[in-house]
Amino acid sequence: MTSRNAGALRDTAFDAAEIDRRLAAIWSTTPGVWGALATVDHKVIGRRYITTAFVFLALGGLLSLLMRLQLAQPEARFIGPDRYNQLFTMHGTNMMFLFAVPVMQAMAVYLVPLMVGTRNIAFPRLNAFSYWMYLAGGLLLWIAFVLDTGPDVGWFAYVPLSGPQYAAGKRADIWAQMITFTEVSALAVAVEIVVTVFKHRAPGMSLDRIPLFVWSMLVTSFVVILAMPAIMVASTALILDRLVETHFFNPAEGGDVLLWQHLFWFFGHPEVYIIFLPAVGMVSTIVATFTRRPVFGYLAMVMALIATGILAFGLWVHHMFVAGLPRLGESFFTASSMAIAVPAGLQIFCWLATIWAGRPIFTTPFLFAIGFIVTFVIGGLTGVMVASVPFDTQVHDTYFVVAHFHYVLVGGAVFPLLGALYYWFPKLTGRLMSETRGRWVFGLIFVGFNLTFFPMHILGLQGMPRRIYTYQPEMPWSGLNMFISLSAVILAGGFLLFFIDVIRSARTGAVASSNPWEASTLEWATSSPPPPYNFARLPVVGGLDPLSDRRDVLPVAAGLRVDRRELLVSSIVEATPEAREASSGDSIWPLLAAIATTATLIWSIFTPWAVVWGSIPIAIALIGWFWPKGVPEDES
Amino acid sequence: MTERVFSIAKSVLAVAVLLSLASAGGVLGYLRQPRELRFEPPVAADLDWFRLMSNGIGGTPPESYFALGKPYEADAYNLSQGKRLYAWFGCGTCHGDGRGGVGPSFLDGWWLYGPEMVSIVASIRDGRPHGMPAFRDRLTIEQIWQLAGYVQTIGSYSPKVAAPSRNDDKQTRPAENRGPAIILFDEGPVGVHPDQGPSP
Ligand code: HEC
Ligand code: HEM
Ligand SMILES: [Cu+2]
Repeated sequence: MTSRNAGALRDTAFDAAEIDRRLAAIWSTTPGVWGALATVDHKVIGRRYITTAFVFLALGGLLSLLMRLQLAQPEARFIGPDRYNQLFTMHGTNMMFLFAVPVMQAMAVYLVPLMVGTRNIAFPRLNAFSYWMYLAGGLLLWIAFVLDTGPDVGWFAYVPLSGPQYAAGKRADIWAQMITFTEVSALAVAVEIVVTVFKHRAPGMSLDRIPLFVWSMLVTSFVVILAMPAIMVASTALILDRLVETHFFNPAEGGDVLLWQHLFWFFGHPEVYIIFLPAVGMVSTIVATFTRRPVFGYLAMVMALIATGILAFGLWVHHMFVAGLPRLGESFFTASSMAIAVPAGLQIFCWLATIWAGRPIFTTPFLFAIGFIVTFVIGGLTGVMVASVPFDTQVHDTYFVVAHFHYVLVGGAVFPLLGALYYWFPKLTGRLMSETRGRWVFGLIFVGFNLTFFPMHILGLQGMPRRIYTYQPEMPWSGLNMFISLSAVILAGGFLLFFIDVIRSARTGAVASSNPWEASTLEWATSSPPPPYNFARLPVVGGLDPLSDRRDVLPVAAGLRVDRRELLVSSIVEATPEAREASSGDSIWPLLAAIATTATLIWSIFTPWAVVWGSIPIAIALIGWFWPKGVPEDES
Repeated sequence: MTERVFSIAKSVLAVAVLLSLASAGGVLGYLRQPRELRFEPPVAADLDWFRLMSNGIGGTPPESYFALGKPYEADAYNLSQGKRLYAWFGCGTCHGDGRGGVGPSFLDGWWLYGPEMVSIVASIRDGRPHGMPAFRDRLTIEQIWQLAGYVQTIGSYSPKVAAPSRNDDKQTRPAENRGPAIILFDEGPVGVHPDQGPSP
């Protein structure tokens, strides 16, 4: 310990009230506009992230209702072909890139630091930057759509359709550049999560004591880090092809059209697990809490998560079965696609065993967990079906596939997410959501969902292609389509009630105690919502369930300074404390850097020179961001 | 309470900043976007009624063309349709990739009948005396305008934002969005077409 350090103020010198006062002074976000723009508090940013993602969910939902309105009757004249192309592309792109992935990461931004018992996420400024980039990407896409420049090439934007020859104007460029925005922000969050989980866990939280949700986010983050670069490379190559005549995807000049499909799906399939794995973690958490026992087979669950994360990279070709690949390749990817059902099945059985052995309490989050298990199993079954080449050849690009992926996406991710929101809402806002309304929400959404999407399997088998803006009355599809559209109204009603419940509960819900569900993970050890510094004294963990093991006393670590933002760095495996480290304070530079990057990225759709000139403001912003403060960064 | 108001004001400001940036991008994109797949028949028919000078060079487009917002010069979709028609109707057999052949070049800065849209439309619709066939029976007037917009784009010295990019073919010259006329411009010892006078 250095001598300069010896004079520093430690929490050992004060009583509890004084510690709170001093920590609050040092960690709080300053009120006012400036404070809001400069904050690096993971809870503020996490809440913002979650709210924004749900706004995008609502917007994407509106688009799907427009599509269902158009498809309700044959030869409807409500929406023309050009607009319809934009609608399904916007819906898919918005749901995947602006809702599903970000919302899962957003939950992690809020929860992971609390669950591992630290005071802020690693790289807090990067976190702020990531949110601004995400917001800018979302606005870019939506504003373009409002101006009739929305992408119209499908959410996977296959070349040559999206290439320079067939996608006129800037629509496809907007899609491709939106990818850059969201992937930059997703990669940033992934890195933060990995470092937070590896280096900032509370003392004693060894690898085998990490909560399952944190495990799932850790695996997800690695998948993000390995998968996202593929799509960034692809979308950049697409922009280059379109703007400066490179030939990545031009077969006549030695490029390759299939290259796009490979790059896209090398990201695109893991993407499904980027959405699904966090959901798995949420379900595990909910199931454990409401059955009043730890999840059966912790080790098996963790292994299944990791196995899924690895296998996720060995399946991508099953999206390309009709692209004319060698037979051996197709067989291999059929086998691997079926193999991934093994870890998924394992997890299902672990949850069932947990419920079986426990004393389930049927609260709204738990209902959503059950709804998830049922729906996801159906989606998984049709997944195994389309994994077989002959079957897929029949139903490829039909409504069967639309039904399949909505079962896994909505059933596998949205249900757990809604459950998670009911579950963690008290920690987010300090108030509980309404249990009565919650049951209605679950009922409407579960029933509405199945009525909407189950018949799509049949439509697909009857040959109705996806992405068509209308169909002839002679086709045997009208009845089911009308039924689906009416059911979608029920589904929409469920979501509407959900949003009403969120808004009303946030204002007038019952005030929550610090641990209303009597759960056992660390986020419930602090008040609801937590103070800016999360924990007045960092907890020390002695088991997998820190709160239930010793309900009355939670041991804490002492010796941290109270005159600067400080947190603990601990070892990867055992989480023994290694060092005390400063955590960076509020800063406006991440926002400025995001604005400079946004301007450059949008400009670069129009001219390659944007990259040259735009790098100057970006460099200035980064210099401001990293300008040395003259404070020693960390001391051990 | 004031805190609430503050936090709302804060987020509004943040959103406003990003909104203005993103909308700047959106507006730029919109400039080349509105996609009218088919005009009402009377509107389309009106496109035939432009006035031409008696020598067949220059003139004024129909009023309705301005009312539509000059859709054939600056709209990406129409320009790319024009590019497609250029290939489908074999313009390349005589005009090459725009650099000419039997017919004149479009990117040397020389226009036998002037660079205005109406002249180009007239050339395509009615043909020209020294070997340019008339296409009025093979193309609709909308398609002719689309072609004309594209032909004008090939030779433009300041590439239009909406100009099409390369095709998925062998590359013979820079694509229209990169201003091939500027890149390929070559002020030789004599003009490219000495028969057409000393300067464009
Ligand atoms: C059979 C060969 C041939 C074909 C096919 C042909 N052109 Fe031409 N085109 C010519 C010739 C020759 C001229 C020069 C006529 C003249 O000088 O009177 C010409 C002139 C023109 C001009 C006027 C150029 C100027 O400098 O003012 C335009 C515009 C034009 N062609 C467009 C087209 C388009 C568009 C197509 C395809 C739909 C096309 N041409 C197909 C031979 C052809
Ligand atoms: C909540 C109610 C929802 C409804 C009613 C709905 C409905 C639809 C419809 C009608 C289509 C277009 C089918 C076509 O024309 O081909 C579609 C496509 C799609 N949906 Fe949804 N959807 C919903 C939620 C979601 C969610 C939550 C996600 C993702 C998390 C999602 C992801 C997609 C994707 C990726 C596509 C494909 C888009 C494309 O073809 O490019 N949807 N959906
Ligand atoms: Cu897949």
